[in-house]
Amino acid sequence: MISQPFRSALKDQARNVRDYGMYVALVLIIVIFEIWTKGVFLSSRNIGNLVTSTSYIAVLAIGMTLVIVIRHIDLSVGYLAGALGAVAGLSLEFWHIPLAAAIPLVLALGLLAGLLTGFLVAQMRIPAFVATLAGWLLYRGVLQLLTRSTGSIVIQNNTFNAIGNGFIPDIPHTGFLGGLHLVTLILGVLAIIFFVWHEINKRRNTVSFQFEVTPASIFLIRLGIGTLAIAGITYIFSGYKGLSWAAVILAVIVLFYAYVSTQTTIGRHIFAVGGNPEAAQLNGISIKKITFLVFGSMGFLTAVSGIMYASWLRSATTIAGQGQELDAIAAAFVGGVAVSGGVGRVTGSIIGALVIASLTNGMNLLGFDISIQYIVRALVLAAAVIFDVQTRRRK
Amino acid sequence: MTEAGSPVVEMRNIKKSFAAVQALKGVDLALIRNEVLGLVGDNAAGKSTLMKVLSGAYIPDEGEILIDGAKVHVSSPLDARRLGIEMVYQDLALANNLDVTANIFLGREKVSAKLGPFRVLDNGHMEQEADRLLERLKIKIPSVRLLVERLSGGQRQSVAIARAMAFNSKVIIMDEPTAALSVATISQVLDLIRELKAQGASVIIISHRLEDIYSVGDRLIVMRLGRKVRDTPITGTLDEFRESVVAYMIGARDDFAPVSPAAAGQAGAL
Repeated sequence: MISQPFRSALKDQARNVRDYGMYVALVLIIVIFEIWTKGVFLSSRNIGNLVTSTSYIAVLAIGMTLVIVIRHIDLSVGYLAGALGAVAGLSLEFWHIPLAAAIPLVLALGLLAGLLTGFLVAQMRIPAFVATLAGWLLYRGVLQLLTRSTGSIVIQNNTFNAIGNGFIPDIPHTGFLGGLHLVTLILGVLAIIFFVWHEINKRRNTVSFQFEVTPASIFLIRLGIGTLAIAGITYIFSGYKGLSWAAVILAVIVLFYAYVSTQTTIGRHIFAVGGNPEAAQLNGISIKKITFLVFGSMGFLTAVSGIMYASWLRSATTIAGQGQELDAIAAAFVGGVAVSGGVGRVTGSIIGALVIASLTNGMNLLGFDISIQYIVRALVLAAAVIFDVQTRRRK
Repeated sequence: MTEAGSPVVEMRNIKKSFAAVQALKGVDLALIRNEVLGLVGDNAAGKSTLMKVLSGAYIPDEGEILIDGAKVHVSSPLDARRLGIEMVYQDLALANNLDVTANIFLGREKVSAKLGPFRVLDNGHMEQEADRLLERLKIKIPSVRLLVERLSGGQRQSVAIARAMAFNSKVIIMDEPTAALSVATISQVLDLIRELKAQGASVIIISHRLEDIYSVGDRLIVMRLGRKVRDTPITGTLDEFRESVVAYMIGARDDFAPVSPAAAGQAGAL
């Protein structure tokens, strides 16, 4: 028998259907492919590859989420990532700049490029679509110029290549955990402890301020699902070579951006500018400053993405980054960012990126033709946005 | 503390021109402490311009502003806010994608810690204060965690007004607070304005709805073509009030006519 408060709490949760829909979709996709591929999809090796090959798009999607939240768009990030990857390759292979200087150089250039976009949009008042379309052309040209004499640059630096291909080190061990990656397991356990502590703390805080909380039953279910999810991911990762560096970088960026966007004044102001720019301005929030900040962060993340991509391929190619801006935009929209601005979550966009990557990966495993893959992705993107608009309208 | 009955805000001889158009031709306005002052006039009378001068959106060409008897310079909306002048805008100026608490504290968030350039939001205390504020003003909203887009028009207006009350403001200016509302919700907002007065606020209301000003106002200023033409306590029946106000609004009467007192007297006899 379901108790009355539990039922009314379920009804409350139903209103958050948009937030949960994406998680449900991801689980469904995983289950379907897991069955269809007879267990290959969720194998440690495949999941490891999937995460690595999504990470550079996911990093872009995080930046893009905030750009779309403040009602702009950035079309330049694909080729910018490619051009910055080429700078990294040239620095290491031709200019003989040490890695410890090459990476900060690339990150600084990315930040600079982002601030340039911010300048065009905030200061010169050029619509972001046009400004970043110019950027798309510009960085495409820059990429070709950089790689004209060298062609694709093969990167020999092992430390650099480990970013996209390496795994975190392990403690040598034997015994009953012999086949598993111990450090990954320990990190997983720590993540679970942190998650449970964080949730309980949040709930205790809410209670101490005499606000209503969801009933204990719902709370425990959420706690259980979260714990299981982390445990499952940890187990899968520890089954192959452990956590990849790409996954670690992605996780750090996600945690940082999720925290800043939801728990700090800067995040609050970004969403206020997205929701009602006039209101934000009247309340003393500088739209200009926020625009510079968001595009600056986009540029920085583009540099990170460019480094991850070049490292993964162990080379800077002449067409690196092509179309990645659109993949990032699609990930953000599938992840629940509203086209009209003001609404979106960093974590949602990561789920969006994972949904698209899981579909691509699963269809690849099953040998789907590439043309069919594009059509399926189109349907998923359209369905996600239709779902989004419909659930929003019902409010 | 200044004694009761003294003006909390005084505007003296305010002049403001836009290119060739003289929008304010030397206007005096005094707002007594804890009074609700109605400001009416036809379009282009200058009432919104006058309030934008007070709230820092416009800088006057001439004239001075005194708050609690001290001369002040109001050169931006933030300046005005620091001086305790809060404006509730006609188009509400709320962010619909944020919750009630976030809107009340927008731009003035409480911070629990500083991490480098990041200031961590103190959501617990903000929610608690928002809750208390709504309770104090008898505003009925189920939860301060509701997104503003889920509120009715009257509730949104109440949140906008509550926000103006949240920070010990001296003066609250409302631009057409009832213009966009249904008849049923108008009375809610008028009740809220009475509540503000009961709690000691000083309020200026710009409105086209004379019955609203009649029902909550203590005093009335009528403007016409950039000048003050009437400044009077609100008395008498609604019909008398309306009739006399309209006469001033359309220029049939004028208490401050600059030309000849005889002409004003004649007009008054109409």
